[in-house]
Amino acid sequence: MIQFFDLWVQYAPLMLAGLATTAWICALAAMLGVVAGLALACLDSVAFAPLRWAVRAYIEIMRGLPILIFLFVLYYGGPSVGLRLNAETVGVFGLGFYAAAYFAEIFRSGFQSIPKGQIEAARMAGLSGPQIIRHVKLPQMLVLITPPMINQIIILVKESAVLSIITVAELTKNTTQFVNETYAVIQPYVAAAVLYWLLVEAVAQLGKFVERRVRF
Amino acid sequence: MATQPTIRIRDLTKEFGTFSALSGISLDINPSEVVCIIGPSGSGKSTLLRCTSFLEEYTSGEVEIEGRLLGYRRTASGLVRESEQNIDAVRRNVGMVFQHFNLWPHMTVLGNVTLGLRLTKHVPRAKAQEQGRRALAKVGLENFSDRYPSQLSGGQQQRVGIARALAMEPHVILFDEPTSALDPQLVGEVLDTMKQLAKEGITMVVVTHEMGFAAQVADRVVFMDGGKIIEQGPPAKLFNDPQSPRLQEFLDTWKSRNMLFQADGRSPGTAEEGARP
Ligand SMILES: Nc1ncnc2c1ncn2[C@@H]1O[C@H](COP(=O)(O)OP(=O)(O)O)[C@@H](O)[C@H]1O
Ligand SMILES: [Mg+2]
Repeated sequence: MIQFFDLWVQYAPLMLAGLATTAWICALAAMLGVVAGLALACLDSVAFAPLRWAVRAYIEIMRGLPILIFLFVLYYGGPSVGLRLNAETVGVFGLGFYAAAYFAEIFRSGFQSIPKGQIEAARMAGLSGPQIIRHVKLPQMLVLITPPMINQIIILVKESAVLSIITVAELTKNTTQFVNETYAVIQPYVAAAVLYWLLVEAVAQLGKFVERRVRF
Repeated sequence: MATQPTIRIRDLTKEFGTFSALSGISLDINPSEVVCIIGPSGSGKSTLLRCTSFLEEYTSGEVEIEGRLLGYRRTASGLVRESEQNIDAVRRNVGMVFQHFNLWPHMTVLGNVTLGLRLTKHVPRAKAQEQGRRALAKVGLENFSDRYPSQLSGGQQQRVGIARALAMEPHVILFDEPTSALDPQLVGEVLDTMKQLAKEGITMVVVTHEMGFAAQVADRVVFMDGGKIIEQGPPAKLFNDPQSPRLQEFLDTWKSRNMLFQADGRSPGTAEEGARP
């Protein structure tokens, strides 16, 4: 019985390092995804049609493609076009640009929720397109889009497990190492489950905090 | 120099697909004039205001605001769509009040009234708030600046809508049925506010079904039907001596409905009594 817990103590540094890697990669990917998703959603509403088609194509492709394929293309296909990125960078950009397609759809539904009349009133007050987004649309839609955004970030955290396949030393990869070195099964996977749960719970709590702040 | 009209509309047409919502509208609005536009529902009144503010692109013809073409640029090969920035510049002096108020619900009353000042006229916050409070005082809402729109009655919300337009110090304000969404007992306060503005010499174009208001306040009444201006003139003339059968019919319908309302205890005033004070 003592031995059972000993393994956890022994492998705590490895597992916590994995947790930290998962956390920072997901944090950066989420930020990138939100910014790129907002940009996509804004481009989706411009008058220039070819740009809109490009945005639609991007979103459709990303939503139809398994994340693993996208990561393989970036990581193993990148060097053939002179794009040599380390695994963590591929992780951030891969997860970020992948999530951007989903965030873009969330922003788009948010934009659509604002009554047309309010936008016309803003145009008559002389506001430019970007000013209308910043001062009229975004503040109102945050209440609406925060829950699905948080949900999407939680999915991102869980999907980040695939980064283990492209050798990123994140939580799943380190859990596998734990298994391989000790032939234990229960302790590594229970630890991984608890640590993922902690991370997801932290994101959910952050979401609740943001939700309270954006209410008006 | 002869005074140029504030708004000059020539041969304006607007088509939605194959449907003609406006066909060949020509109309001048002169400085300090109050023009009321009446007509049956679907006659193109809103579309006319929306083309005059370029919330809707017009199909052909011209709209000029104080001598500047709105929405398009004249080139050798005809009219070319103008950039958003230049459209904003031309309609800078045009204000609009909407049927459904269209206030921004996430901002206080003062926030609604000062947003345009701060963002597009780059008035510093303190000065914008001072101007905003002055505009609110004009509509009798100086004590409501920290409320949110949802905490106000419909009539108060529409007065905020008017203050929001006023704060920008426009040279003309377009009103699209400003009282149609209000409960009958709230109509009066909004009309009183508008009367006050008319007295101050603000140029106004008002689409309305309030014949009493039109009769009392308008310098000119324009009757539209089927996307055309059928008849226009001073209210006394238009209401008491309509020339076209369609206007006659429109006024008759209005009068019979009005009698029903009066039986209901509501007294909006009749065209005749307002026309000759
Ligand atoms: N966006 C639109 N698309 C198609 N038809 C429209 C649109 N807006 C208005 N119309 C049509 O144009 C006509 C005039 O409408 P409108 O200007 O709103 O009339 P009014 O304000 O006098 O009631 C109506 O028949 C209406 O159905
Ligand atoms: Mg209308």
